Amino acid sequence: MSKPAKTHKIKMMEEQLAKKLNRQVVGSLVGCVHCGMCNDCCHYVLTHPDDPKMTPSYKADQVRKLFKANHDWTGSVFPWWVGADKVPLTDDDLDTLKDVAFGTCTNCRRCTINCPMGVDTATLNRIMRGLLTNVGVMPEGVRVVSKDQWELGNQMGVLKEDYIDTLEWMSEELEEDLGHGEAEIPIDKAGAKIMYAINPREVKYDPRTIKEAALIFWAAGEDWTMPSEGWDNTNFGLFSGDDGLGGACAKREYDKARELGVDKIVISECGHGYRSTRHEGVNWSGEAEPFPMESSVMTMLSYVKEGKIVVDPTKNTKRVTFHDSCNNARSCGFYEEPRELLRLVTTDFQEMYPNRAEGFCCTGGGGAMSMSEYTPRRLKSGEVKANQIRETGAEIVVTSCHNCVDGLGDIIKHYELGCEVKQLVDLVADALVLEECAVMKKRPVTAAKIEVTEAPAAKVPEAAPAVAVDLPLAGRKILVVDDEEDIRIFLVTVFEDAGAEVIEASDGDECIAKAKAEKPDLISLDLSMPGKSGVDAFVELRKTPETEEIPVCVVTGHPEFRQVIYDRPVPPPEGYLNKPVDEDKLVSYVAHIIETKDEKES
Amino acid sequence: MHESSSLLHTAEVVHWAALIIMAVVYSLRLRWLFSFKPGADKSAPGAPDRTDKKRGAFYSVFNVAMPWSMESTRKGFVFYLTFVVFHLGIVAGISLAFLSTITPNFVAKPAFAWIIGSTLFLAFLVAIYRIFRRLLRPVMRLISTPDDYFSLFMLTVWFGLGVLTQAHMAGVQGFESVVFLVAYLYLTSFFLLYVPFSKISHYLYYPFTRIWIGRALGHRGSYPIVRG
Repeated sequence: MSKPAKTHKIKMMEEQLAKKLNRQVVGSLVGCVHCGMCNDCCHYVLTHPDDPKMTPSYKADQVRKLFKANHDWTGSVFPWWVGADKVPLTDDDLDTLKDVAFGTCTNCRRCTINCPMGVDTATLNRIMRGLLTNVGVMPEGVRVVSKDQWELGNQMGVLKEDYIDTLEWMSEELEEDLGHGEAEIPIDKAGAKIMYAINPREVKYDPRTIKEAALIFWAAGEDWTMPSEGWDNTNFGLFSGDDGLGGACAKREYDKARELGVDKIVISECGHGYRSTRHEGVNWSGEAEPFPMESSVMTMLSYVKEGKIVVDPTKNTKRVTFHDSCNNARSCGFYEEPRELLRLVTTDFQEMYPNRAEGFCCTGGGGAMSMSEYTPRRLKSGEVKANQIRETGAEIVVTSCHNCVDGLGDIIKHYELGCEVKQLVDLVADALVLEECAVMKKRPVTAAKIEVTEAPAAKVPEAAPAVAVDLPLAGRKILVVDDEEDIRIFLVTVFEDAGAEVIEASDGDECIAKAKAEKPDLISLDLSMPGKSGVDAFVELRKTPETEEIPVCVVTGHPEFRQVIYDRPVPPPEGYLNKPVDEDKLVSYVAHIIETKDEKES
Repeated sequence: MHESSSLLHTAEVVHWAALIIMAVVYSLRLRWLFSFKPGADKSAPGAPDRTDKKRGAFYSVFNVAMPWSMESTRKGFVFYLTFVVFHLGIVAGISLAFLSTITPNFVAKPAFAWIIGSTLFLAFLVAIYRIFRRLLRPVMRLISTPDDYFSLFMLTVWFGLGVLTQAHMAGVQGFESVVFLVAYLYLTSFFLLYVPFSKISHYLYYPFTRIWIGRALGHRGSYPIVRG
């Protein structure tokens, strides 16, 4: 039977491959001896022992076959002899390749450091991703996120006004915490020493980290700013293999830093953001080290060492362990600073084994959080990390990466580990002794010791009468949708205590009916429900004219439904919170979503 | 006797000719590898206080002798040992092939014969184990090509024939026939010609791949590996 002719996409991939070849890549392509030693180093292999296709060399062989068929002596003449006869030929083959390259590897590079031949298997997998992306074959989540990053300058589609609004919101919260407005977040301050670039997840789902960082910068007396553009330190080009996107994202940051005339870019705690901005972006954009760049962990550590901020480790007494982001540890050699800082701000640090460059992936790397179709496999592969965490006995898993926060959060929930995930910025902010920090030494101390970790929304002066007008959700109508009665009661109580009028629904159909009838100010939506699921209900809400404008805050315990954020045929939800949810965070978050909508309408 | 000498002489000529051809093909192979542009990392060093490109490259090249440096060799120490024996067998086999034509009297010395013969025998056993490993483990079957099987099979034959040839060279009773040596030299010649086109050429690339990954990770700060 004759083979089908190569499709246009395959030919394009072959052309692209030729452009991606350099000595190091070719060395990795010809150097593999198929010894299988990379096998037991991969978390996918260890958790899928009956599936030989999980082995790293098989994944790398997908691009190796293309190379051998087109560039290698033996492969060109006798392709079957070296396995180069099994190259992809049809577009269906490309779908299979997509599942291999995106769905069975997080590009964590653990196989690379365990290869006796020095083959960089993860880089080969990234090349395959790039070839597929170039011909439009990629998971839907990767497509949406890449599009957002190309068009809006950030991977979560955050509009500029929403970003600025969030920074102003955090400035207001800081003012409430501190009793003065001196810690206001500076935006586009020309000539500042530091430009602080963040992960869009912070704006969209965890703005408290921005507030905490701002507090630390202020406490240290730092001359800093956040840019109005070029603020996204993340880079989906690293995940999709698209060097063009990678270069464009990095250049936005560098250009903005140049425009502002800052001395240094400080990158918030994000593993791939650090790698992309600090290292790969330099190469992709063709700029030879445009600025000094460092992780915010290094900045915070230097503040403590230089005495600019004073920390009290006894404020963090729970047992903590540290998870190394693969991008930080394996690809950037960045693993000692977070440990040093952790020891300064906590009292009970327990190392996780293996660690540093040998640590296992959290399963959230390589853009895996945006590929919800692979979530069940990803969660299964998390068993290795779950066992690592369990053995430490830690109550808190600390990491310096937002993807790891989500990846670890999913694992902790899935394997019922009963601990929480935090970042260094959370712990440093918790441990601050503000009255002894640099900024307080320069001014008369008037403020009492400030408890910075307390969420502002929960702060109701004891003496103040509990009148409805002072409550954050006073006059608001909220529809709570959840099939579990206990959770519904909890949410209703929290919202009612915050002053809201609350209506309830226990499934998707009821949700849609009540949303149309009651026109709530916000819907708190569970995703996993019997009958019409929350995902289907969400899409219908968005597609129905009477309900499309109602803000939705997803409150879910099922990470596999994260597709409503990434893999979306409709605009994403305004908020997304994982169960169990913190009461104060829930109220302040929901209040902010409603206020933002009000401001837009006015 | 005269016929045997003629056979041996021809085998030796073929053997040396094959060596020259291999050297030429290897030169072309390296020229091909270096025809690709070098990959450059323009970013600032990741951890200059701790390591750099040179340290990374040095560590990387010599990690073959540091089984503790990689988890794969730490945990798979027995497999690492088989790797060592297998490759020492190749060194022994090559030594036997060339020394038997240059200085047969030295090869016949008992000490040499014992060292080379036993190394080749152990390598032969390891090679058989490797054949079964490749055939029986689904993962290995999935990633193996005809070249992988053929190279391993032929090396196994070569090790086995090497043991017999060493016995012949040492004058062991029952191995007097020169056919062992002639066959061994022809098989070695075959390898010299075949290797540049097969997976066995990995040893040509090995120093480069290890230096390059070592420089890359040394520059970033993650080589040498630090454990704590």
